Amino acid sequence: MSIAPKPTSALLIVGHGSTENPDSSTPYFDHADEIRSRGLFAEVCCCFWKEEPSMREAIYMIDSDEIYVVPDFISEGYFTQDVIPRELQLNGPTTVVRGKTFHYCLPVGVHRSMTELILRRAKEVAPDVDPAHTTLIITGHGTGLNQNSTKAIRDQADLIAASGAGYAAVLDAYMEEPPFIAEWDKMSPTPNVVVVPFFISDGLHSYQDIPVLLGMEDEVGAAASQREVFRHNPHHLREKTLFYSSAIGTERLLADVILDQVSDFDKLHKSL
Amino acid sequence: MSIATQLHDLLRSGIHRIGELELQTNVCNFPYVICHSADAGLSTESAFGGLEVHEGPADARELSTYAEDGTYRFTKGQTNLKRGWVMVLENEQDLLLALDQFYPACVGLFIAQKGGILEIETLRDKLNRQTGMYRFARTISDTGAQKLVQEICGPAHQCAKKILWKLDADTPLDESEASRFNGIPGDLPESEAIPLLCREACNHFVAECRKAAKAEFEAKAAEA
Repeated sequence: MSIAPKPTSALLIVGHGSTENPDSSTPYFDHADEIRSRGLFAEVCCCFWKEEPSMREAIYMIDSDEIYVVPDFISEGYFTQDVIPRELQLNGPTTVVRGKTFHYCLPVGVHRSMTELILRRAKEVAPDVDPAHTTLIITGHGTGLNQNSTKAIRDQADLIAASGAGYAAVLDAYMEEPPFIAEWDKMSPTPNVVVVPFFISDGLHSYQDIPVLLGMEDEVGAAASQREVFRHNPHHLREKTLFYSSAIGTERLLADVILDQVSDFDKLHKSL
Repeated sequence: MSIATQLHDLLRSGIHRIGELELQTNVCNFPYVICHSADAGLSTESAFGGLEVHEGPADARELSTYAEDGTYRFTKGQTNLKRGWVMVLENEQDLLLALDQFYPACVGLFIAQKGGILEIETLRDKLNRQTGMYRFARTISDTGAQKLVQEICGPAHQCAKKILWKLDADTPLDESEASRFNGIPGDLPESEAIPLLCREACNHFVAECRKAAKAEFEAKAAEA
């Protein structure tokens, strides 16, 4: 989808970030760089919950009076419905805060174009497997804090199952709530299993925690960028052949999904 | 006036430093050149004195993510910026883009402070908004928080930011090197540097508050 240039508006990409993992914020900056290079906005900035600049500092680095806020998050849940609006002092789709007009877009993860990105990622990581003998598992965090947090993943699993991609099974699984990703082998009816982490970054969860839960590693390893040797697929574990991809958010095309969300916001909320 | 234009004016007025970065103008036909302040002498020599040259702001994030020894610089105010490089920039927009990677929002925060519109957030405000595992941080005592400032903040603990916040509206920080620090590492006069401003406690401080709060809780439980 193409987007009309917005030469007097800013794009503010909001991410989680981390004070512990240096890779956590890399995709957000990559997405910002990509969009900035296209010259569509007057400014493109990032801000974070657990990294600098904070969401409350962001307003001080933006000149534009109109700001599109896109949560670079995978689900419409606790962060996008509670934390980000509170931190940016937003009370609806459009809010004027200290003289600036903020448009609050939906998070990237709930956009319909994510389905295609997941299928691409699954194909890249296991190009030669026959989908008919393969289970595709989309895995996320899961949290008791907000019931919506897993909805985006369940929706994607349903969409892919109905898409004709041909996988024997398409499942959702989580780190901290059932169905647990640690039981990937029990839930998969096929000899081949492809696991795609539905996270934005190859940070603590997708690169360090989930590999332990999958049984690929005995203990949490170093951050992705600090490894000399990246994991090699496939992994022969628990009598199955496992393919594990990097996080979906590291896909550079996610920049297009950010723009799609801006475009969808305009269609839904602004009379053009 | 845009932030980039105001930055340009600040440099013309004699400012040449932010954090550990030296900001130079019109060096080797480049309008703006930045480097570690300890490399400032080299950067004006021919071929930048052998410093590794980075053209444009794109590498600013990479240069500022790890210290020389490879450790993650988890807050950008840390005084362990890598040396040995120089970045050449074509205009003030690119300069601002680079500075916002090295010291996120710090130019804008300074301009807002000068204009009297910078809103400061107390520690209690910050802690009371924490979620998940960090929610417990809010239980830290005032005494514990004051102690942490002196154990974590300030140049003695590798942070070059000037703390603007109080514990709450009525409780300023205790006098200490950390609470007095002006946000300008080195011995530069205030007229020559953009200070690094800490308008809200950083996430590292919040994480340490959580640890200290847990220790306080456990100590009380042990006493009971």
